[in-house]
Formats: sequence, C-alpha cells, structure tokens
Amino acid sequence: MAFWFYRGLRRGIVTTRYPRGRPDAWTADLPTPPAFHSSRLTDGLARGLAEACPAGALLVENDELVVDLGRCTGCGRCAELGGDAVERSGEFELATAERARLIKRVPIAGARR
Amino acid sequence: MDDGTFTDGVDRVAEELARRTAMFGRSLHIRTVDTGSCAVCESEIRLMAAPHYDLHRLGFFFTPAPRHADLLLVTGPAVRAADTLLLKAIDATPDPKVVIAVGACALGGIYQEDELIHGSVDRVVRVDVSVPGCPPSPLALLQGLLVAVGRLQERAQAITLDLDAETNR
Amino acid sequence: MKDLIVGLIIAAAAGWLGAAGLAPLAGRGMGLRACAWLSGTAGLAAAGGGVLLAMHGSSATVRLGGGTVGAASFTIAPLAAPFIALLGAVAVANGLYAPRYHHPSGGTAAYLAAYNLALLSSLAVLVAGNVVAFLVAWETMALTCYLLILRHHERPGVGAAALLFIALSEVGFALIVLAFAILATQTHTLELATIAARAHTIPEAWRAAAYVLALVGFGFKAGVVPLHIWLPAAHPVAPADGSAFLSGLIIKLGVYGITLFGFELLAGGPAWWGLLTMALGAVSAVLGILYALMERDLKRFLAFSSIENVGIILTGLGAAMTFNADGQPVIGTFLLITALYHTVNHGVYKTLLFQEAGVIEHATGTRDLDRLGGLIRRLPRTAVICLVGTLAIAALPPFNGFVSEWMLFQGLFQGFRIADHTVGILIVVAGAAIALTGGLALNAFARAYGIPFLGMPRSQGAARATETGQPVAGPALLAAACAFLGVGAPLVLTGLDRVARSVTGRDIHSELLFPQLGVIPAHTNFSEFSPTYLAVFLIGIMIVPIGIWLAGRPRGARRRTPVWDSGIVAFRPRMQYTATTHSNPIRVTFAALYQPEVHLERSSDDPAGRSGPVHYRAAITPIFERYLYRPVVWLVDALARLARPIQSGDVNLYLLYVFVVVLIVYVVYAS
Repeated sequence: MAFWFYRGLRRGIVTTRYPRGRPDAWTADLPTPPAFHSSRLTDGLARGLAEACPAGALLVENDELVVDLGRCTGCGRCAELGGDAVERSGEFELATAERARLIKRVPIAGARR
Repeated sequence: MDDGTFTDGVDRVAEELARRTAMFGRSLHIRTVDTGSCAVCESEIRLMAAPHYDLHRLGFFFTPAPRHADLLLVTGPAVRAADTLLLKAIDATPDPKVVIAVGACALGGIYQEDELIHGSVDRVVRVDVSVPGCPPSPLALLQGLLVAVGRLQERAQAITLDLDAETNR
Repeated sequence: MKDLIVGLIIAAAAGWLGAAGLAPLAGRGMGLRACAWLSGTAGLAAAGGGVLLAMHGSSATVRLGGGTVGAASFTIAPLAAPFIALLGAVAVANGLYAPRYHHPSGGTAAYLAAYNLALLSSLAVLVAGNVVAFLVAWETMALTCYLLILRHHERPGVGAAALLFIALSEVGFALIVLAFAILATQTHTLELATIAARAHTIPEAWRAAAYVLALVGFGFKAGVVPLHIWLPAAHPVAPADGSAFLSGLIIKLGVYGITLFGFELLAGGPAWWGLLTMALGAVSAVLGILYALMERDLKRFLAFSSIENVGIILTGLGAAMTFNADGQPVIGTFLLITALYHTVNHGVYKTLLFQEAGVIEHATGTRDLDRLGGLIRRLPRTAVICLVGTLAIAALPPFNGFVSEWMLFQGLFQGFRIADHTVGILIVVAGAAIALTGGLALNAFARAYGIPFLGMPRSQGAARATETGQPVAGPALLAAACAFLGVGAPLVLTGLDRVARSVTGRDIHSELLFPQLGVIPAHTNFSEFSPTYLAVFLIGIMIVPIGIWLAGRPRGARRRTPVWDSGIVAFRPRMQYTATTHSNPIRVTFAALYQPEVHLERSSDDPAGRSGPVHYRAAITPIFERYLYRPVVWLVDALARLARPIQSGDVNLYLLYVFVVVLIVYVVYAS
C-alpha cells in the first residue's frame, strides 16, 4: 500500500482539471479537424481535397468549401495534400445541440478573383 | 440567442439535469448503446473513468441498466439490425433523458445509407447532442456531457475554420 | 363403535369386490363411471373406517372358515388404521379420476378389474389376522398389481418392467415367508396376535433372523435402496392412477410389514435393529433424491422421489426402535407417530402428483420435462393443484409435509439423550442425511414444477395443451387433504397417538400436543410449533404486502414499457433452462456417485463447427443394476446351466432316475 502512495506523490496528480484550469499540454497533439487558409485555396485544390476525404466531410458547393465537422475523423489526409493551405485547427470541443452548427463554410479564394 | 445556447426542448432537460448535478445530491447515470460501431468510441467512453479524466469527479456514473440511466451515449452508424435494440433501450429509459450521438459514424460520416445501415443515428431516434470525432477524445466527450447537462456553453457556433477570415477583417 | 368399524371395513371390501365384478361393463362409458363410483364409495367407507379405528384405538377380530391351515382370521388392529385410511383416500381420489382419464374399452375393463382386486387384497393384507391370510393376500396383491402394470402391454418396455416388478416381488415374498415361518415355528401358532404375545420367548438369534428377513423382504416392496430397481421401471409404464396407487399405497404396505414385525410381532429388539433400519432409510433417502434429480421423465422422477420418502419413513422407524431399545420410550413413540404421519402424508401428495403427471401426459402427449413448458397458462387449474402438491412434498409450510418432517428432525436431534455416544452420533448423522435430502428435494421439486409449468413451451404438444376433459376433482380433493392434514395436524396427531398407544402401550398425548394447538417433540423444554397458528399467520401476513402495494402506488405521470430484456428481438424457447441443465450443478458435484458416461461424436475436428452436426450423449451409470443385480443374475444363470444336464430329454436317463430312487427308498425302509 505504501509503495503506491509514494509513487503517486512522486508523480503528482495526473487528473485533468477540465473544464477548469489551463488546458493540459497533451491536448495540442489530439487529432482535430482541419482549418483552411481561404486565400491559398484554389478551386482545383478544393475539389482534390473533397475527393481525398475518406469520410465525405468536404464538399465544394457555390464557390465554397463546405466542411462537415460531424463527419470529420481527424485523419489528416487533407492537411497532407493541401500543403500550406490546410493545417490542424486544434479544436476538439465540438459538441453541439444543433447538428447544423457543425457545418462550416470556407470561401474558395480562387473564386473571389 | 445564437451564441451557443439551446433550443427550447433540450433547454428544459438541460436545466433539470444541471440542477441535479449542481446540487451533487444526485449523480447522473450514463448508459452506452452500440448500434454497430467498431468499439473504439466505446473504448474512449470507458476511458473517461480512468484517473486521467475521471468523470466521477463531475458526478457522472456508468450503469448497465437503461432503467437507471439519465443519458444515453449512442455510437455506431445505426445498423438496421440494431433497430430493435436502440428503440427498446430508448423506450426503457425513463424521462427526462438526453440522447447523445457520439462519433463520426453516428453523425453520418464514413458510412452512407444503404439496405444494411441507416447511416446516422438521427435517422432512427431524436438526438439531443452530437459529439463529433473518430473517436472523440475523452476530453471532447466530457465537454459533450457537460454541454448536455447545461454546465458548459457550446462552442461549436463560434468555431470558424477560415484562418484568413480574422486576419482579413 | 366396534361394529360400525367392522361394518365399514366389510362394506369397503364388498364394494371393491362389486366394482371388480362391474369392471367388464367398463367397455362402455356408463359402465366405466359406475365401476369408478362404486370403487370410490367403497374407498370412502374404508377411509371412514380407518379414521374411526384410529380414534377408537382397540382391535376387533373376525374369523372365517375352520380348521388349522384353512382358517382365515382377520383382525382389524389400530396399527393398520392409518394405512386403511390412506387406502380409502387413494381409492376415492382414483375413483373420481378414472372416468375422465381412461377411455371405455376392453383393456380398461381388465385394468379396472385388476385394480379393484388389488384394492381388496391390500385391505386384506392390512386386516389379516393369521399368517396364511396375510401371505395369500400379499401374493394376490402382487399379482393384481402385476396385471395392472400390464395395462398397455403392447407398448415396448412394459412387459419387461412388469416382469421386473413381479420377479423382485417374488424374491421379497420368499424372504417374508421365511420370516413368518421362523415366527410360526418358534411360537407354534399361526395367529398374529398370539405370535405377538409369545414373541418374547423366542431365542434372540431367531428373532434377529426374522427381523432382518422381514426388513429385506418387505424392503423389496417398499423400495429401499438397493432393492428398489423395479420402482423407476414400473411407474412410468403403468397408467397414471395405477402409478398413483403403486406409489401411494403399495410401497406403504412394505412399510406396514416392517412396522408390523418391528413393533407389533417382535415388540422391539436390541438397538442394532433400529440402527440398521435407520441406516437403510438414510441411504435410500439420499440416493433416492440424487437419482431423482437426474431424471427427465416426470414419472420416473416421481418414482425416485417415492424411494426418497420411504427412506425418510424408515429413518423415523429405525430411530424409534433405537430410542425404545435405549429406554426412551417417549421419544420412541413420538418417532413412530412421526413415521406413520409421514406415511399418510406421502401417500396423499404422491397420489396427487402422479395423477397430475397423468393429466400432463394426456394434455401434452409427453412426459419428458425437456419438452414441456408454459403449462401454467394452458392448464391453470392443474397448475394450482400441482403447486399445492409440490409445496407439500417439498416440506413447505403450511402443508402436511412440513409438519411431519419437522417432527422427524426434532426427534432425531434429540439423539443426545441417549447414553451411548456412538449411537447418539449415528442418529444425528442420520438427521444430517435427512437434512441433505430435504435441501435436494427442494431443488428437485423447484425443477419439476418450474420447468413444465413456467416459461415458454418447448414443444408443439406443450403449446397446444388444453384442460378440457381432464380430471380435476380427484387431484383437487387430495390437495384439500394436504392442506387439512397440515393445518389440522393436532387432530391427526391425536388419532395417531391412540394408534401408537395400542402398539407400544404408552400414551404420550400430553408430551405431544400442548393445549393451544401446538406440537411438541416429547419434551416440553426442547421446542414447540403450532401448524394451525402458522397457517393463520401466513394468511394474515399477506396484509403487509397488500398494504404496501395499496399505499405505495405512485401518483403522477407513469409510462408503461416492457421489461428490459437487453434489447433482444424475440425470446425463443431454446434460450431457456432445460431440466438437464437445471440439475447440472448437482451432477457435477456428485459425479463420483453418478459416474456419468459421455459420448461425443463429430465428423471432423474443425473447431469452428463447420463440419456438420455434433452428437452428444450423456448417461449416468446404473450402479445397482450393473454391480449388484447383473452378477446375481449371472450366478443364477451359471447354476442353472450346470443343472441343465439333469434334464437331458433322454427317456433312458429318466428311467435310470426312477430306478435309483426306488432302490434308495427300498434300502431306507428296509433298514
């Protein structure tokens, strides 16, 4: 019994303080949905990303890239393909009571011009 | 209001559940229902009881009996063969209850509707809260639970995926 | 009063003789009903006679015929009173049961003739006053029972079962004749009353021989282990009321014989008689119920349960003899009363259970427990009556089985009063064995009631069972009798006390019954219990759950949903326990006794089971048939083979025999 007590004291409390306190260090490594630089998005790139998404979370519609956060698995294929146009958003607190709020639209810069 | 609060129906339920856990005189019981998932979402749900996340400190507990449950965590793409199971579990849970769809499968991702599956849980039952992820990490699940009981505000509305939108403002 | 009793007994005998005469008319519906009604009415007379005889408490003798060997004398003694009353009750119940159970036909006519003659000869056994009358009546009883087992002789296995019955009965009979022969030659009389009076003059060795021969000889009929193997063979193949008669009465005649020898004719002996009887009883009880738990056939199960109960009765008798020999006649008489009480109780509820087994067999077409199920919905009245019988035989209050087993335990637990510690310990060990059988019996009857009546039907026959046209009056009467014998135990015990007084000369009324309807086991400072008040209390306590239900009904909105069943789509009968799996823990625990043999065949060793069906067969080893009877049969066969050359069929050899014998006779007479 004493062994586990001293081991615990040495390691400290590992329980996260979520939802209070600072975010833990390891939350930065969680797989999260992508965020886009709309200025670097071209139409062709957007269509390519939409094809590559295995979960069907990306869709090109009306000069916008529609991202369904509900369908995204955080696999990271779009981040690999998109180069500097796509990066991890770091958002993992995605719960919602309204399913529609998980559908985000990113304008495709190529179409703006 | 449009900054992350609830529609009417879930509002009342969330208030009731929030009142219960705030007083800490009653704990909230969670029952998981698997409609054909790969069981990784179940693993993450179970992991919430580990010391790193510890959902017990927030007043949540797991129960195997739907009769004792307040929250149902539904995973899986709603395979048609699991219809009876899901509907019976919902029916067996007394009101007030909250149904949370967990994971990309349950929200309609990866698998599309065909003769074997419905594709998403909200095609079978009314879903109150959706928690995306594949699988959602235990922290995301904790956030989903706290949102469902009204102890946290939603953040989904405020999230934007356009990194250039802020800089362009 | 005496004349009334004699008149009732004679009326019963005449009634059964008349019913046997009416039996050929049972080929038609009205004839069947007339025969059954006459038989039942005669049974009513016998039951009345038995009860009055018990209350009256002294004998009456009637002589028929003349000469020394040709005379038949009948003595209606109080010891036979409980048995006569039981005979009457069984006859009444079967009389009510028969018209709806049997179909009018030639076979039924023959069966009813044999049955009524069996009733008559059983009565004759119970009132026999001399040795010859007893033996003639006994053999007649055995032969008529053989005929009634053969009712469905065209079916496979029936002939063999009946042959086993009569063969073992004859072996027992030979031993009984020897026992009576010893007594008759030693006391120079054939009258049973005179034998009882002169028994103390017989040398000890002859007395012991007579008692042991009687114990084994009557043990064949009573169904004592290892002499029991005819019981599970004969009971399933006889018609239900025939099995009820066999188990309800005929095996009790074996108990009557042992009681007659142990208490009346030989009037007690050294303690080892009682210990031997008690040991046989305890072993029969434990083995009986252990084998019963392995049975799938409902009637074979009930047959083994009868063996168990005979063991319980013999344990009581043996302990009574031991206490008497040790100079504790009060407890001895108490245990004798207990044994007689349990005899009557078992007769009543076993008859009920066999009759209901017959109803189930006719309603569903099967006796196999693994093919029944859900009968509580299809056969509601049968289910209620069977529940009463099951509660009674499992010794649960407020029924009769509980009272008699309680009394037996209280008697056995007083073994510490015996000075010789070894004997006292043996008595308490017997008590422990009976306690084990009590627990196993509860398990066995929960299985025997739960599997057929509760749950879902496991076969089409069970799903389509219907109660129309099934007999109800007979079993219902017996169920009421179970309740009466339990709640009215003080009345019954008063009568049995008078019976015991006529046998042992001691009246223990004040040490048996407290004024306020309580039963005490022969010592006021040991324990006390009132079956009547317990029954009243059990009914009264129902107020509590009813009150809670009335007061606690939730107010406000309620929603009714089905019971949570883990969300399965539909229940299927094969998801339930079967009778075999229910008793699996017992089979595993007592595997050393059962020696189960398992045969497993599969076409290939593919573990995924894709190779086709797997055949699994499991059977328990019949150790008595294999290790006791088969060697004896082999020995007899070998001796017969040795003797066969004498009957060579050669006329010349036979002439040589004649010549040699004449020569010998000449030489002997000449010298």
